[in-house]
Amino acid sequence: MSKFLRSYRFWITVVAIAFMAILPIKASGYILGVLTMAYYFGVFAMSWDLLFGYAGEVNFGPTFLIGLGAYGAGMLNSYTPLPMWLCVIAGAAIAVVGGVALALPALRLRGPYFGLMTLVAVLLLLQFIVIFAGSTGGEIGLAVPDVLSISTDANYYYALVFMLISGGILFAVSRSPLGLILQATGQDPIAAQAMGFNITKHKLFAFCLSAFFSGLAGALMIFYLGTASVNTVVDLAVAIQIIIAAVLGGRRTIIGGALGAIFLIVAGELLRPIGELSNFVVATVALLVLLFVPDGFLGAVLKRRAGL
Amino acid sequence: MTLVMQILVDGFVISSLYALGAIGFTIIFGVSGVLNLAHGGILVVAAMVAWYMGANLGLGVYPACLVGILAGIVMAYLTYYLVVSPIERSRRIPAEEKEIFILTATLLWGIMIQEMLAYIFSSNPISVPRLVPGITNVFGVHTPTNELAIGVVSWLVILGLWFFVNKTRFGKAILAASINPRGVSLLGFELSSIHRLVWGLYGLLAGLAGVLLATFIGASPTNVGDLTASAFIIVILGGLGSVPGSLLAAYIIGFIETLTAYLSDPSYRTLPALFMLIIVIYLRPQGLFGRR
Amino acid sequence: MKEYRKSGRGLALGAGLALALGAAVGFSPISAHAAAKAPIKIGVIAPFSAIDGISIVNAAEMATDDINAHGGIDGRKIELLKYDDHASAADGVRAFQRAVKQDHVVAVVGTFISEVALAVEPWAARLHEPFLITGAASDQITNLVREHYAQYKYVFHANLNSTFLGDVVCAQSHAILVKDFHYKTAVVMSENAAWTKPLDDEYLKCLPKAGLKVVDHIRFSPNTTDFTPIFNKIEDTHANVIITGIAHVGVKPTIQWHDQQVPALLAGWSSQAGASTFWKDTNGATEGVITGNLGAPGAALTPKSNPFSSAYVKRYKTTPAYNSYTTFDAFYILKDAIERAHSTKANALVSALEKTNYVGTIGREQFYGRTAKYAHGFKFGKGYVTGVAIQWQDGQQKIIWPTHAATAKPILPKWLKPKK
Repeated sequence: MSKFLRSYRFWITVVAIAFMAILPIKASGYILGVLTMAYYFGVFAMSWDLLFGYAGEVNFGPTFLIGLGAYGAGMLNSYTPLPMWLCVIAGAAIAVVGGVALALPALRLRGPYFGLMTLVAVLLLLQFIVIFAGSTGGEIGLAVPDVLSISTDANYYYALVFMLISGGILFAVSRSPLGLILQATGQDPIAAQAMGFNITKHKLFAFCLSAFFSGLAGALMIFYLGTASVNTVVDLAVAIQIIIAAVLGGRRTIIGGALGAIFLIVAGELLRPIGELSNFVVATVALLVLLFVPDGFLGAVLKRRAGL
Repeated sequence: MTLVMQILVDGFVISSLYALGAIGFTIIFGVSGVLNLAHGGILVVAAMVAWYMGANLGLGVYPACLVGILAGIVMAYLTYYLVVSPIERSRRIPAEEKEIFILTATLLWGIMIQEMLAYIFSSNPISVPRLVPGITNVFGVHTPTNELAIGVVSWLVILGLWFFVNKTRFGKAILAASINPRGVSLLGFELSSIHRLVWGLYGLLAGLAGVLLATFIGASPTNVGDLTASAFIIVILGGLGSVPGSLLAAYIIGFIETLTAYLSDPSYRTLPALFMLIIVIYLRPQGLFGRR
Repeated sequence: MKEYRKSGRGLALGAGLALALGAAVGFSPISAHAAAKAPIKIGVIAPFSAIDGISIVNAAEMATDDINAHGGIDGRKIELLKYDDHASAADGVRAFQRAVKQDHVVAVVGTFISEVALAVEPWAARLHEPFLITGAASDQITNLVREHYAQYKYVFHANLNSTFLGDVVCAQSHAILVKDFHYKTAVVMSENAAWTKPLDDEYLKCLPKAGLKVVDHIRFSPNTTDFTPIFNKIEDTHANVIITGIAHVGVKPTIQWHDQQVPALLAGWSSQAGASTFWKDTNGATEGVITGNLGAPGAALTPKSNPFSSAYVKRYKTTPAYNSYTTFDAFYILKDAIERAHSTKANALVSALEKTNYVGTIGREQFYGRTAKYAHGFKFGKGYVTGVAIQWQDGQQKIIWPTHAATAKPILPKWLKPKK
């Protein structure tokens, strides 16, 4: 441990966290608002990386889990007298239940078939939200009565603490024996099975963990915004953004997902003046990174260091 | 009785369009192992170019549609040379991850196409004038003649494709390539020239599907994702790479949707097909006609 | 000690990014010690890429230039800030928060879609920001004001609500469809959205009184692509007319209605049909379609109607949408209120807005009182805002109702005949 305390990485981590923590003293509400969204997005991307990077499954459906958490919590808040924090927990629980219901059949499949299953899950959720527009607000959105806080600083700290805790837990899991087993099953399922690991059980656990944090982040995000809408928490476009964030940041790094998400959201804001073309530029950058730096920002840095 | 006829006519038209849209997608997978998630983007490019040529440059409907199809072919080649081929050749990407990279990269490419179209033409839905005006009475069902023409054109193209694959030298080479890529060189073809040909064929089919779509239900850049998803679903249900499987799947999905729209409520249209898809994939993960 | 390796580097990158952001922090907003001639900031929120969204922005630009060219508000110029909500509730909320917290606008005007307006409304209450809703129509907007006046008093509905829109259509239908065409039966066909719920309720109530029996009621999903099954069902009912409630969609149902030659006229409320580009968007399929609107070029509802609409057409090469009239007027209502209040403070502005009595481009505009059923909503009816009916005839929008403003007689598309 003492070696760890002396390592420069530890100090960089401390400095970075300290910087994020004192940012509200100086930064305007606008910048904090952008970063608040970026932190929730970071949790989405990190949860996705656990399943995709480590377990090797192409999951097109992160927004199925996020959407279940967000709409579960939002609708409970709208239609029941439950307090907000209970709605958030219930939302996360609904996401885990939905995740298991999806994972049990889907984990029998691999490659594009698994991908399709997760894609269909998102499409079904979208259809249900649109069909029951009377209670869900349909394609446009559902206004929820409660909000986390109307103070920009408070919202920023909620998101920051939430991202740090979730990132810490997901990172620890990925570095634990479980993470190594997941990585092994992702790369060579037959060999992993031959070594006596119950692949399905481990993947199911990864799925549940991913679902829990996705759902929790989705629920918290809608109570930050005061509204749940399809194009912030369910749409395929959101799923694609999450995938881009994780791939940009570097797969199999967990933390890379958060970096990619912060980069994407901040870049989106900086490019706002160019209007509708901003999404085009972001997608182009992501494609170029994918083609020329396939390991992502963090992956590339790590590889270079490893080579030295 | 009219209800039965309505369902038959409507189901036939929409299914034929689905089939046309999905065939190119499945051929590309069969021959080069690429799942092109920018598929919807290519359809919409063809549709919007045809619309622009007709509505803003004053071209007649047929020349406009031809330019639209041409745009589909150009887009297919751009997809191949700018996105797919660099990944296939990359030495930095491990072989076992290429599939995932192509999925993600074509997905991004699709977004780029969608955003560019929205920027140039706005995201308002557009519609190409009908190829054949008028109304035909099919056993008591008022059907725009154009829709019947769409069904007929789709089937002519499918038959043409069958003829091409089974009766011509190039076609046979494509068939061979989809079964065993190494065998192709024995027939005296370069695998790369087969790929070039197949991407052109794919562009033609996608361009045609996009243009016909625009004359029937219209198109908009916001449709890109939905169109890709629907082709993906049909192709997986039919069995990846299987043309007959895709045809059957297109008809199954088209008719289930139409039945749902008529017998319950048009809003529920896509639900039963999605549920059925889950069940089929669960029981038979390789799809109806797929090889394991 | 492998555990923390990656995280360390990850966070190092994070720190770099955060530092870059920190540099941006330097630009903290200029303190708002308003010099006497400092401009008055007003925000406008709308979905820029929708036909009925850009129409709001256009009108806001026109009003701003117009007011600034004539001396501004109490000698201060308006500075217009524009925010795109992409027709999304979340983007709308973010835009509103940015307008208030970052840009410190005095009031916000917008937006098109009811769900977006309803999601933004609580933020107007929380942040004490005057919000004039000029595009959305849901009755829920004013319900909130009536039920929680203390919190929601900042919200004004400067547009007719859905119930009133239903009444406008019923009045037109009685005059045109029943009296001229002798129609007897109708199908109500609306998109499934917040604004059409009260609209449909009103249709079902007032159409029978207007002389049209409602034989079917269809609510379709706004992402419907193929309307064939819906139109076939309508054909089976032998209804004379389809009374619509559509705003988010428009092109697809109109084209398919025309291509299939559905034997029932298309009338009611179709917002996109109010734009002059609709003829081109539908390749002329909109011939014969009737839609309600709040104003239309050529309809001299007040002395301000035609100067506004012709200036708008000249500047943007398209006709103003219903929400262009309301948005343009909302800026003048704000100017009037700020000048009366001699203040841009929210509470003073709200009291002044409540006393609005302004003749705008579509009629005399006043808001109902806090205890009225539609608290802070536009007054509807004779002497106030009444609406018009337009019909597409040969590529032109003609006014066919009310009679005193009419520019043409109603016609029918060639495959339809009046009933005996």
